[in-house]
Amino acid sequence: MSTEMKTPETDPAKLPWLGRKLLWLDNMKNVDRIIYALFVLCAGLIAADFMYSKKSYLAIEDIPGFYAAYGFFMSAALIIFARVMRVFLKRDETYYSPKDVESEAYPEDQLSRETIND
Amino acid sequence: MIDLFPPFLLFVAGAALLPFIPNGHPRALAAASVPVISVYLIWMMPEGMHGQFTLVGQELTLLRVDKLSTIFGLIFSLAAFLGLIFAWYVRDTIQQTMSLLYAGTAIGAVFAGDLISLFIFWEGTAIASVFLIWARRTEGAYWTGMRYLIVQVGSGVILLAGMVLQYNETGSMAFEAMTLGSPATWAIFIAFGVKCAFPLLHNWMPDAYPAATVTGTVILSVFTTKLAIYALARGFAGTEILIYIGATMAIFPVFYAVIENDLRRVLTYSLNQQLGFMVVGIGVGTELALNGTIAHAFASILYQALLFMSIGAVLFRTGTAKASELGGLYKTMPLTMVFCVIGAASISSFPLFSGFVSKSLILSASMQEGYYIVWGILLFASAGAFIHSGIKVPFFAFFAQDSGLRPKEAPWNMLLAMGLTASLCIAIGVYPYPLYALLPYDVDYVPYTTTHVVTQLQLLFFYMLAFVVLMKTGIYPPELKSVNLDFDWTYRKLGPAIIRSVRSLIQAVWGALIGASLRGLNFGVATLERAHGTEGPLARAWPTGSMVLWIAVLLGGVLLLNYM
Repeated sequence: MSTEMKTPETDPAKLPWLGRKLLWLDNMKNVDRIIYALFVLCAGLIAADFMYSKKSYLAIEDIPGFYAAYGFFMSAALIIFARVMRVFLKRDETYYSPKDVESEAYPEDQLSRETIND
Repeated sequence: MIDLFPPFLLFVAGAALLPFIPNGHPRALAAASVPVISVYLIWMMPEGMHGQFTLVGQELTLLRVDKLSTIFGLIFSLAAFLGLIFAWYVRDTIQQTMSLLYAGTAIGAVFAGDLISLFIFWEGTAIASVFLIWARRTEGAYWTGMRYLIVQVGSGVILLAGMVLQYNETGSMAFEAMTLGSPATWAIFIAFGVKCAFPLLHNWMPDAYPAATVTGTVILSVFTTKLAIYALARGFAGTEILIYIGATMAIFPVFYAVIENDLRRVLTYSLNQQLGFMVVGIGVGTELALNGTIAHAFASILYQALLFMSIGAVLFRTGTAKASELGGLYKTMPLTMVFCVIGAASISSFPLFSGFVSKSLILSASMQEGYYIVWGILLFASAGAFIHSGIKVPFFAFFAQDSGLRPKEAPWNMLLAMGLTASLCIAIGVYPYPLYALLPYDVDYVPYTTTHVVTQLQLLFFYMLAFVVLMKTGIYPPELKSVNLDFDWTYRKLGPAIIRSVRSLIQAVWGALIGASLRGLNFGVATLERAHGTEGPLARAWPTGSMVLWIAVLLGGVLLLNYM
């Protein structure tokens, strides 16, 4: 995730209360902390499999960490497959225009574009 | 005789009166109060057949009140109320009236006790809803609406054909459980399948829903498809082919959702996918499975609307719903972000959120009936739901890289609608028993067991782990401005291209034929001209002497022949 993109300076005083509280997410170190917490949680959930008797229908469910492995590999596989699929299916945004809304701007009169600086 | 006031009439009356109420808060209040009264009416209706009357020899039933129709009537009214709160500031009379009519016809359809009433309401939903797309008032929206209308009305025409065949066969127009087999039942099945967005019949949905207005998409997401789910549950419960159709529906849209840039289209694919779970439930057809389907329809109407509302609010404030243009909005639209995350957690079936207590009924039912592969597919599909709607939508709208956009928080009415919907998603997740009590069959299911919670958390956190790993390694596909070809390419590009090439082929053959005959004609005329024209040998004036000579030759010939 790149953060090079130029952003306007944000005055924290103009942010809503909850937005100010969430500013700590701006710090990449804190994002890393969340990711470490996720690793710990994942490890804990595998460990949890040894601590109770699973009520299962299929023998495969009894393998400790079956759901963890299924979850991890299935989502990885689906993302990678989708990415490969895109090579064949991706077209320009104007591909169907003008009979498509894809490359149109949303009509301004139906919007209420206000920024926190307004 | 009409013995009960049909709720759909309330919506029709509301839609008719709305233009005469001053536009602004009074009209918005009047519109939002219609579904509230409707909830009361539906709640008070006694079970049984009501509103029966005879029209040109056909017995019509406007109100078949049982648990199946009641729960759909209630959730449709509730969702209409939430949608109208979300649309409080819409001052477009067409959208206001059409939203009411659309909700009214959908509610009319779920209470319809015969195929004729069903057909009328079925087409009513098609016609009322297209205005929510056209209300965007752009050229693209006009064409998209046209495509949508053709498919929707087409579904009605197929239904009509099925009805007529059915009447020929059975002499009855009653809308009851059917067995797939005759052309009549197949036609009705396909008509339902079009509105339910079966695989390859689904393209109208990802095409049209993201093209509607900010509020229109929220309203659209509720009715048409869930009406089809109701109709399938009523007519084709236990039809095995639905299991495989549903399983395909549950995975097919996932891949598209992962690479789609427009977040409202991502949500439409995810809506399509959630319908797949319900279709599997209808196909399995046991009491547990049907309860699961209906509970899931109820829950998914709410979380799907919530997700569409949150992205709609972003679109309303920033002018775009494209992942490639968004990001970093959590600071300035934190409440919208929280509501979006609640919707995301619900669709991902996080414990304590609504998806957890509804989807698991369908998964358990498919497992109990021995459909292990289908169960595995649904588990895979759940991973998909988490990746595209659970993570992708909130992540790319509100986090990811900072887009530099600093929109203000959504207006109060949108926050209120999202807040109410989010509270319902959590309430159902935490305490599902009131929802279970509304289901058609007794529920003997406990969602919160250690096994279920731990296995579900394992799935969810490892989906998340996979996302983080792929994001960190750069394997996760970046959000790009693009469209992705889907099956609609066949009728938006391939079909017209075939027609164009057939047309030019016919033109070429026709031209060649005409050219050849003209040349032939010209040649004939020229030959005649050469022979008989002014200078032609046959047109010359011949001297009398040569005539006499030739007659003598002929005479000689004839004499010779006579003597021989």
